[in-house]
Amino acid sequence: MVAASQISGAAPKPPLQPSFGVHQNTYSDLFYRIKMNVGVAHSEVNPNTRVMNSRGMWLTYALGVGMLHIVLLSIPFFSVPVAWTLTNVIHNLGMYVFLHAVKGTPFETPDQGKARLLTHWEQLDYGVQFTSSRKFFTISPIILYFLASFYTKYDPTHFILNTTSLLTVLIPKLPQLHGVRIFGINKY
Amino acid sequence: MLNCTKLVTVTGYINNLPTLSGSTLRLYKRPFNEAFEETPMLVAVLTYVGYGVLTLFGYLRDFMRQWKIEKCQNATEREEQKDFVPLYQDFENFYNRNLYMRIRDSWNRPICSVPGAKVDMMERVSHDYNWTFTYTGRVIKDIINMGSYNYLGFAQKAGTCQEAAAKVLSQYGAGVCSTRQEMGNLDKHEELEKLVARFLGVESAMAYGMGFATNSMNIPALVGKGCLILSDELNHASLVLGARLSGATIRIFKHNNMQSLEKLLKDAIVHGQPRTRRPWKKILILVEGIYSMEGSIVRLPEVIALKKKYKSYLYLDEAHSIGALGPSGRGVVEYFGLSPEDVDVMMGTFTKSFGAAGGYIGGKKELIDYLRTYSHSAVYATSLSPPVVEQIITSMKCIMGEDGTNVGKARVQQLAENTRYFRRRLKEMGFIIYGNEDSPVVPLMLYMPAKIGAFGREMLKRNIGVVVVGFPATPIIESRARFCLSAAHTKEMLDTALKEINEVGDLLQLKYSRHRLVPLLDRPFDETTYEETED
Repeated sequence: MVAASQISGAAPKPPLQPSFGVHQNTYSDLFYRIKMNVGVAHSEVNPNTRVMNSRGMWLTYALGVGMLHIVLLSIPFFSVPVAWTLTNVIHNLGMYVFLHAVKGTPFETPDQGKARLLTHWEQLDYGVQFTSSRKFFTISPIILYFLASFYTKYDPTHFILNTTSLLTVLIPKLPQLHGVRIFGINKY
Repeated sequence: MLNCTKLVTVTGYINNLPTLSGSTLRLYKRPFNEAFEETPMLVAVLTYVGYGVLTLFGYLRDFMRQWKIEKCQNATEREEQKDFVPLYQDFENFYNRNLYMRIRDSWNRPICSVPGAKVDMMERVSHDYNWTFTYTGRVIKDIINMGSYNYLGFAQKAGTCQEAAAKVLSQYGAGVCSTRQEMGNLDKHEELEKLVARFLGVESAMAYGMGFATNSMNIPALVGKGCLILSDELNHASLVLGARLSGATIRIFKHNNMQSLEKLLKDAIVHGQPRTRRPWKKILILVEGIYSMEGSIVRLPEVIALKKKYKSYLYLDEAHSIGALGPSGRGVVEYFGLSPEDVDVMMGTFTKSFGAAGGYIGGKKELIDYLRTYSHSAVYATSLSPPVVEQIITSMKCIMGEDGTNVGKARVQQLAENTRYFRRRLKEMGFIIYGNEDSPVVPLMLYMPAKIGAFGREMLKRNIGVVVVGFPATPIIESRARFCLSAAHTKEMLDTALKEINEVGDLLQLKYSRHRLVPLLDRPFDETTYEETED
């Protein structure tokens, strides 16, 4: 929560933008419905949308990546460049699987299945783009890429591996690809 | 605009005494001490690690079940139907079969006695890790009951209430067999409604058979399309369902946050309805007296001040606060020293403090007469059962002191003493407790998923029954155990419970509190929240 409020860029765009220049804030002019929540302590329709904003999530994520890197560095067969490329690739693979491949929620939500066909990335903050969590998770693979490029001394093979891996994880995050399924892969 | 002056007292609590700008009217006649200590960062990180490990193991087990290495205990589709479109999405059941199943024995425990201060429970064992339970046949006796909503201790099997109810049972029978508008309007119901109106200090009241149904059936009768409902973030499912069924526009304000509510009110009045800009037909503010998951009490003086300033209506759900707050048990309105005429619709339930079942709505006579005709509950739902009505009448008279004894007053005082004592002792021990100092609902924070199960089981081993709640019912880093205090708890019972909680707290390392209290208006919720929108 503290971290989220420290990195706040432009005000989040509300999904509904009228063509005339009326000043909008997140509360007025957005009307929505709450669905029935049985046995819950809050009226949050889909708790998955808020998970990445919770207190300490970003720190845990950074520590997790750090732990992965340390484990890879400790394996004596891997040189430093190989360890960095492996960190980058495994991190991007994990991020792709959990954020862009797995769809729906691991628990039943009262939203009548609206989020069932959406990946976790698409569910974040109910589809509002450019929120702080989204920015953080877009920037972190890029930083990892910079570090990996530096430590592999820009070697061509490593470069190709790292760049393709970065692209697999950056392209699905583009707002233009929200809800897009290329060739129908992973649609249902 | 309301602004607040904050005073830090000796104990470190922040007393919040808001003042209306421009005048020195003090809205609160007593200190309002509410605290929600922030999750320590280390604990939050470890909680995520815990959920991460559980998720990875969940995937592993699902993999093993799919490849038939492990037997699948869930219902699966038949082999012939594998090529059809699947009926269910198994991922939606992921949490249920991989996390909830592991600690399932902390819920749905069968009790076999009246849920008073002590309760008997049937012993269950599971030989396949909670997929199935078998009863050993033994009954665990005299478990200290810290989970029932038995605030004034009227859940008894002997006593004046029970005798009166038994007499009415032999006179009227158990069933009513009709709705209020047809043949189900007994003289007992009329007597009850007059009594409830007198108890609350309102003109008229109406009673319904089910507390949940009171909210969900009556809010649609009060508001409709073209009206605006401003509902608190942590409102109960019945209020949410009623609001949704009504067809009105719903906007949520941050929990107990008067700035957020005022902002919404201002926006609503200035901008009107979304596309047409017409003024709203009605604005209804939905709040609860005590929020049962947080233990917080609504800031009623400020809500009423805002309501009067912006000319909207207030619907107060006193399910947990009626009988539990106030010097004579009349609820949150009396607790703050306000007049019941300021609240337009006073709703409550008889389930918690009166040891019965059902709900009521109180208010002006025109409102209640309207509800008698137009409410779905009145037209379609069966009315209250006569022995239940008698239980309510007797217990309410007892609380009011009209039965000639001091028992009711003693109970209310005992509950207040128990609340203060229990909360103070838990805080001294170093646990993180949420909520207001005066609320009999005490959430104790557990945070980590493993500790949820461990706490429930350890407390049962020590003969104390508690209710634990975890994600997704609460936010992911705020799993808790919820204690509900009762006037039936004696000091010895509370001391025993506290001793056991202390032991379990040391065993499970639950004493996280650093007494760094967050200022009351900055609750550790997201500052930026995005709501689901309709496209």
